[in-house]
Amino acid sequence: MLGKKTGSKHAAIVLGLLVAFAIYLLPGMVGEVLAKEAFAEQVFAEEAFAKEVMADEAAKTGEGKPEVEWSQDVFYKDWEGNPLKGPVSGAPAPELVETDYNRYGFAPSRMILWIANQQHLYFGSFVLAVPIFCMIIEFIGIRTKETDPIMSKKYDKLAYDLMKVSLTAYSWTAILGGILLFTFITLFPGFFKYLAGIFRPVMHVYALMFLAESGVLYVYYYGWERMSQDKFMKWIHCSLSVLLNLIGTVLMYLANSWATFMQAPGGIDEQGRFLGNIWHVIHSTLWNPVGVHRILGNIVFGGGIVGAYAAYHYLTAKTEEERAHYDWVCYVAMFIAIFGLIPLPFAGYWLMKEVYAFRQQMGITLMGGIMAWLFIIQAVMIGLLFFAANSYLHNSMSRVKGSHRYMKYCKYMVLLLIVCFTMWMTPHTIVMTPAELKAMGGAQHPVVGHFGVMSAKNTAVNLMITCTVLCFILYQRANKKIMVPWATIGNCWIAAIFVGAAANIIYLGVYGYFLPANQRVGLSVPQVSTTLTTLFVGVGINISMFKDSESFGEITWGSQSKVGTYAIFMMAIAFTWLMGLMGYIRSAVRLFWHVTEVVRDNSPDAYTLTIGEAGKMLTFNTLFVWVQFVVVFWVASLTGKKAEVKAPAGVPVPAQQQE
Amino acid sequence: MLPEQKDILWTFLSMAFTVFALYAFINVVRHAREREGVNGKFWGTVFAGFLVISFLETVHMFDLVQGEQLLFFFKYIVLTVFLLLLSWGIFFKSEKIEDQSPPIIRGFFFWMAVSVSLAGYTNWLPQQRSDPPPKETAIAGDLTMEEYAEMGRVIVFGAKQVAGQKSIGKGQCPLCHTFDPGDNIGRCPNLFGVEERSHTRVKEERYATSPVKIGDAEPATGVVKGKPDQIPAAYKRAGSPDLIGEDYLRESLMCPTCYVVEGYGKEGDTKSPMPVISKPPISLSPVELNAVIAWLQSKDNPGDYSKVTVPLPTAGSGQAKEEKPAEDEGEKPVFVTGNEPIDEMINTLGCPLCHTIPGVEGAVGALGPVLHEKINAPKRIKDPNYKGKATNTKEYVKESILTPSAFVVFNEEAGESFPDGLMPQDFKNKLSIDALDKLVDFISQTQPQG
Repeated sequence: MLGKKTGSKHAAIVLGLLVAFAIYLLPGMVGEVLAKEAFAEQVFAEEAFAKEVMADEAAKTGEGKPEVEWSQDVFYKDWEGNPLKGPVSGAPAPELVETDYNRYGFAPSRMILWIANQQHLYFGSFVLAVPIFCMIIEFIGIRTKETDPIMSKKYDKLAYDLMKVSLTAYSWTAILGGILLFTFITLFPGFFKYLAGIFRPVMHVYALMFLAESGVLYVYYYGWERMSQDKFMKWIHCSLSVLLNLIGTVLMYLANSWATFMQAPGGIDEQGRFLGNIWHVIHSTLWNPVGVHRILGNIVFGGGIVGAYAAYHYLTAKTEEERAHYDWVCYVAMFIAIFGLIPLPFAGYWLMKEVYAFRQQMGITLMGGIMAWLFIIQAVMIGLLFFAANSYLHNSMSRVKGSHRYMKYCKYMVLLLIVCFTMWMTPHTIVMTPAELKAMGGAQHPVVGHFGVMSAKNTAVNLMITCTVLCFILYQRANKKIMVPWATIGNCWIAAIFVGAAANIIYLGVYGYFLPANQRVGLSVPQVSTTLTTLFVGVGINISMFKDSESFGEITWGSQSKVGTYAIFMMAIAFTWLMGLMGYIRSAVRLFWHVTEVVRDNSPDAYTLTIGEAGKMLTFNTLFVWVQFVVVFWVASLTGKKAEVKAPAGVPVPAQQQE
Repeated sequence: MLPEQKDILWTFLSMAFTVFALYAFINVVRHAREREGVNGKFWGTVFAGFLVISFLETVHMFDLVQGEQLLFFFKYIVLTVFLLLLSWGIFFKSEKIEDQSPPIIRGFFFWMAVSVSLAGYTNWLPQQRSDPPPKETAIAGDLTMEEYAEMGRVIVFGAKQVAGQKSIGKGQCPLCHTFDPGDNIGRCPNLFGVEERSHTRVKEERYATSPVKIGDAEPATGVVKGKPDQIPAAYKRAGSPDLIGEDYLRESLMCPTCYVVEGYGKEGDTKSPMPVISKPPISLSPVELNAVIAWLQSKDNPGDYSKVTVPLPTAGSGQAKEEKPAEDEGEKPVFVTGNEPIDEMINTLGCPLCHTIPGVEGAVGALGPVLHEKINAPKRIKDPNYKGKATNTKEYVKESILTPSAFVVFNEEAGESFPDGLMPQDFKNKLSIDALDKLVDFISQTQPQG
């Protein structure tokens, strides 16, 4: 026993030293890499300049031809804003012909590749998100071990259970990745050859990183129990989750570089010839925003999956303890998902800004061209998400003692949501026969048509978000009896903020009808600012009012209604569908190009789908991936014995812990 | 997707429903054994029947193509599932029916209902498929200036105009520009009156100096500003080297940053957000670029082409640059010259895929109207919903070929119009003038046989 303990301590010390060494090296290596990069850039520029001068001189004096051909980058600029020049280091992009594409008779190649890609991305997103959750949940578990050992154990068990599911999903992701690769090589061999020629080293690094990810993942999962035996080892274990997430993020960024290069290339010339700097190819203009957007998207999607997983187990639970546990997990998962969802639009704005900066017509194709309708569908999906989130909160409130004081307001909030959602999904124009067009007197309906414009839609969505924030505030204080002496003033402030916000949002919306379109766009900024004010100031005042508050009673976990549980299912579907939709939009905006402006798609499938066709594919992908998730969860459940689950008696609502 | 391909969603759902039928069968057999007073054989047979029917329907789905699959799915498979659910309910006599199926089944139906509703919503919105633009517009025969300017208009707006939709052609100009007086979307200048402005602008002081001086090369494109004689050879006009309005328009297309209209540029109006139209992704050829200039010079005074200064292209000049040896044969666009026999022409153009055409062997398509135009065309011209310009059969047939959306025929069998947009909009690029005349003559005479 003693020997075992000593042995594990030695192992811990060695492992600790290794981790410390790695942490010590990391900034140095990163710094060194950056310094090398900067130095290399400088040398590169100097060499380029020298060679250019020599080549010019040689050309002038007629002393033979320069050995290296130089060409202009399609994206990168030098300090004066002129296209950066680089040595031609690769073959030009091929002019693809029909024989460069292979086909099956039953479906277009692009559809098959889309399915393979999307399924891999869904699973990849999940397995990248779960380690983030585990890292946070395990950390919370460690931190609460001394103050609340029961909760600490629960957090630790939750993280372990999630990792167990993720492990099976990880293998599945790798298989789907293999299927994707084979699909790509076999159906688009000509284009793959070009892409592989440019990204050759990146692809090898990617494969090696995958190996590293697997190694750390296995140590992290299989070493869970052993490393939980003492405090120090537990911290080491938690550090492994950080490492796991770092490697996972690098993996994702490397894979992203292929997609972002296809959408907005850099590091090549107009003919598609590689200009010798692999960093330029990886670090194309959309690389960073897409990366950040995907990390947040992964968190939201992962939260949705875990929520649905817990909701399903909640419905099938046989004992009160199980029901209470999974009810609580549902809440945690939804909290994480919403937490990731709030900053997601800002990352989206950044991405769009970069798209516009790269090519304005690409941005306009997205927001005002053939892709514009897809953004209306996105709006509908977001409306659906808010509906589901509010429905979940309303139903959750009923299990909180003291909530009867606020439940009466729910029906008005639902009414407001219905009105806003209807406005939100009203299309600007719809498909009509000439007779219908004539009967209506134009493409827009004289009354309903007013709700199809952005003024109405921005107003509707901001009111929906504000309503959700209000619902969250009521949920937070549902079992609290406010005792601070300034309770009345605080309540008045909260009421004033929300009434003022609603009035301001509506006023700006109406005002927008009297402005030209280019000026109207600017009104969305004050509208969003108003909404964010309700979120930060309203929630801030609310939390500060909880000081010395008395409780009406504990939350009755395990008493969530079926409607509330199905609201979580609804969110999971909406997240999945929405993720597919936005991925499709990002990819389809290339229109008939494999690599924008460089490699033209000359396959018979180079057209852009109608919205209906795309919608059907998104539905298929959503249903298909969930069938696979069910299988994966089932397989994961086969490996573990049923662990004893205890009721989370007296567990505070996580939001209330901010107190 | 091509009509002969499969619909993945409906095929997948029919497979899923078969699995559900299997589950329902097992569930019923299990309950029939456990419960007393239940005729197990009867109910087992009923649900086995559902299982067999579902399986056969799924197998049949693989034999159908997507249009047929859609109909078959909603006509038969949905009905089968509905009857199966109804029978299941009767079997349990509504006793705790909600507890008889596990959450996985309820979850599946919930998932499916929401997802399929979303797909339904997307089909409710305007459907617009965007085909890749032709690499270069084909020129056949000698064009008139009216036809050439029309070619420019199609490059700007596309051949298809849909009610309530912004129409965008290969040039993608309407994404940012407007063309009518007073119209402005704030992205790029309104091009109403651009012909007139093109003459005065080149004399402005700002043009001479900002952002590039006349005679200097713009770095990104290499175009030398204000020097029409130094434009790349393929795009260069013949004649004097003096700067004229046409040169300004050409320069604006080939080098947008050579001059940036105030208020519409980036970095202090020194960089234009507009793409170079002669390069990817737009890549207009010299002939196409001149067609756009011809349209810009004539659009403000319809029918008056006196201000157009670009030369007319000659037949074949559109392909001259693209001509390549045999390896590119596969990419050659469909084109008929009019020298072919009428059957061959019709088959080359693909008309029989959708239309039934008397007198053409194998032309029995059903996606579009039957072509009995000798009888039908006069009736359609008189139809109150007809908004086209044709006054006789030949004009109607010609209009239907070149502008299929001008009048969409009502399908009396289906009780609704034939789908708008199904017929290709680019026959203008696939037919020579001779071929068009020959085709119009033939189709104008089609009538029921016997």
